[in-house]
Amino acid sequence: MARCLLLEKSNVKEFLDSFDTILTDCDGVLWEGAADYPIPGVPETIQQLKKMGKRVFYVSNNSTKTRAEYVVKCQKLQYDTTEEEVVGSAYATAQYVKHTLGYKGKVYIIGSSGIAGEFDAAGIPHFGVGEDGWNGRGLRDLLDIKIDPEVKCVVVGFDLHFNYVKLFTAQQYLSDPECLFIATNTDSALPAGGGGILPGTGAIVSAVEFSTGRQATVCGKPHNPLGDILVQQHGINPKRTIMIGDRLDTDMALAHNCGMRGLLVLTGFTKLEDARRLTASNSIAHQKQIPHYYLPSLVDLGKLITECGLV
Amino acid sequence: MAECLLLDKSNVKEFLDSFDTILTDCDGVLWESAAEYPIPGVPETIEQLKKLGKKVFYVSNNSTKTRAEYVVKCKKMQYEATEEEIVGCAYTTAQYIKHTLGYEGKVYIIGSSGIAGEFDAEGIQHFGVGKDEWNGRGLRDLLDIQIDPQVKCVVVGFDLHFNYVKLFTAHQYLSDPGCAFIATNTDSALGGGIFPATGPIVSAVECSTGRKATVCGKPQEPLGDILVQQHGIDPKRTVMIGDRLDTDMALAHNCGMKGLLVLTGFAQLEDVRYLAASNSTAHQKQIPHYYLPNLADLGKLITKIGLV
Repeated sequence: MARCLLLEKSNVKEFLDSFDTILTDCDGVLWEGAADYPIPGVPETIQQLKKMGKRVFYVSNNSTKTRAEYVVKCQKLQYDTTEEEVVGSAYATAQYVKHTLGYKGKVYIIGSSGIAGEFDAAGIPHFGVGEDGWNGRGLRDLLDIKIDPEVKCVVVGFDLHFNYVKLFTAQQYLSDPECLFIATNTDSALPAGGGGILPGTGAIVSAVEFSTGRQATVCGKPHNPLGDILVQQHGINPKRTIMIGDRLDTDMALAHNCGMRGLLVLTGFTKLEDARRLTASNSIAHQKQIPHYYLPSLVDLGKLITECGLV
Repeated sequence: MAECLLLDKSNVKEFLDSFDTILTDCDGVLWESAAEYPIPGVPETIEQLKKLGKKVFYVSNNSTKTRAEYVVKCKKMQYEATEEEIVGCAYTTAQYIKHTLGYEGKVYIIGSSGIAGEFDAEGIQHFGVGKDEWNGRGLRDLLDIQIDPQVKCVVVGFDLHFNYVKLFTAHQYLSDPGCAFIATNTDSALGGGIFPATGPIVSAVECSTGRKATVCGKPQEPLGDILVQQHGIDPKRTVMIGDRLDTDMALAHNCGMKGLLVLTGFAQLEDVRYLAASNSTAHQKQIPHYYLPNLADLGKLITKIGLV
């Protein structure tokens, strides 16, 4: 059972020897919320881990950017990343639809250009992204919307243009039980600039689930598709993989769901007492969110590595 | 415990003597969803019940019409209704905010002209109904939307113009725990199941805020409370007639009334059998006290035993 151990000089070497691959969340770990600069010392820590031969993947539930756009963001924030190292929920979803489901038809997407870009990159035909083109006035005009009977897959991600017309359209497709219902993630909030919080994809998925009475298959953290894709496409070994994150319900739960270990850092969403409270709970859902390790900041790992003379 | 008894010659007189007031759902009871004509024999049945001295209220979770508009609809369908007899969820919500909460400020509404009309009728100031006027392009532009710190109440109802901008706006107001969060109803679909109803919209706002709305329409208590306070009904001597177990029959249980299920709409008899076999309290609360294939059958029984 995970016990939320503080990493320190006495256990850091054993910890470092126990993994080859790191998955790291970004917001709250590498940089704060929507900041324009990294958390000081953390870029250097990532470099130290790479020097030690660890593979690093950058994992995010933000489906508004393609991997190429995420690389640009990482580099601005002093993280030297390549596309192959970025695993966003839009990418995970496209891979899941194409390779895991083997779906070959058209997809109706409620989502942003980030999702469209990843579906284009995977060669999956799609429609629905952007402003809806509906000119109707009343409910009955919605019945004029053409529903393509060949479409057997609906994907829901973050969409600034989400509205009732799109909700109706998704419901029409999903009224066929054979039509797949996929979501990029279900985070209820999205961090915005200046500490603001925006409603997240979870709210949009919740509306579609409620109206259809169906549950989406979710590809992003904390669900298995993301881990499966890293195993299948990138050959990682979950038993020798650490997930670093600031959220218990997405990052630490991903670690448990995928058979990895979780390292919680306190530079983002979660406080230590939130993690401690889970250890006292009997609920399985809560048990699955307990970190194996924690640190106040990822920079502390860099300091420990230096102190032990490892790099 | 409710036993879903079939009404027939042997028990209809005792049934009729047991109540003074009827609340009746409309879609699936008085007319079929989206039909242009009533279910044959039902307008006559309602007239018979009125002749027997029963008070009749027409109850609906449709928040897109004001009571005045609903009267027009009822009359088209051969039901002689007056505004005072209509209890729609837009009306109930306005009454709840004004009289039960005693809220006197401005309200942000995600909803239709039906809700706006009921709030105007109560003199409650509001904004938000209709198309949003946001001209921004990206997420950061949302932060330019002016949030009025005096607004301490958000109401969510059916809105054809619902979109992310409205979701964001509601979220901003509701991030203050002192701001009331009210919903007209939480039905998942309308128009016989084709169109998403208010429930999905409320669900989006609840998910993003982590808060639960206080729901005014069926099956929740505010509707019953308002009928008691404003119209002096006695729930113990009131029957709710409806076609849905989760809204109509649950309303009856929640408000201490009896429920009569008719099978001309959404529910089927096997749905009731399934509930009766269930241990869940929520399911037990949806079991009808009585049922009939069609409300017109009540009219036939009344005629048969020579009451009217």
